Amino acid sequence: MTRDEERAVALTIARHDLTTILDHCSAAYPNEACGILGGTNGRVGKVYPMRNVRPSPVSYEMDAAEQFRVMKDIRQAGLVLVGIFHSHISSPAYPSSVDVEQAYWPGTLFPNYPEAVYVILSLRDQGQPVIKGYLIRDGAVSDVPVNVE
Amino acid sequence: MPIKVRIPTPLQKLTNGKPEVECSAKNVAEMVDVLEKDYPGMKDRLSEGGKVRRFINIYVNDEDIRFMNKEDTALKDGDSISIVPAIAGGR
Ligand SMILES: [Zn+2]
Repeated sequence: MTRDEERAVALTIARHDLTTILDHCSAAYPNEACGILGGTNGRVGKVYPMRNVRPSPVSYEMDAAEQFRVMKDIRQAGLVLVGIFHSHISSPAYPSSVDVEQAYWPGTLFPNYPEAVYVILSLRDQGQPVIKGYLIRDGAVSDVPVNVE
Repeated sequence: MPIKVRIPTPLQKLTNGKPEVECSAKNVAEMVDVLEKDYPGMKDRLSEGGKVRRFINIYVNDEDIRFMNKEDTALKDGDSISIVPAIAGGR
């Protein structure tokens, strides 16, 4: 298998799951919101809205205990971590320098969750939310299309 | 029965790709030292100035050491340790 084939080519999400993400992010506005996406083969099977323990318009951090429980739940359901989402309040749906830094193990260029698509929902225009997906690894940010079905 | 340590993907380069290793240690600080002996580089990845790095969560049998005795959290044979990078970001 070549490196290219390993890469997620797209993330597919059902409309009702997208609604769950939107609702969670809207409820937290004007602070950022975050969550985890479990699934298989680049298809979201379960959305986990998560608590933001560093709530502000410019930051998020998942609750460690909740994150641990959710990751266990994902494993036990036979799913994998296919995505990590968070909202942007006043910036576009593109990873910030902090988002990129936090995607790697501290002080290294080893991605923490190399298989996960980083999904960003921009609420800069609340009437027109924008959702985009990215892989953050190998020192680069690459686009991953988010398909809504 | 030794202590089992689940190694997250970004540290598996240090364990030659092994997702789980075994060790024997009295507490978390000693575990870090023991892992460093077996897998050089591990101590620097896990800790800074003797403290577990921020944005790195360590669990002993599903309990976050931050809510126990942190680096002094006691370990015993059969314990299961998970090392999990935090998920965070901003703006
Ligand atoms: Zn962000």
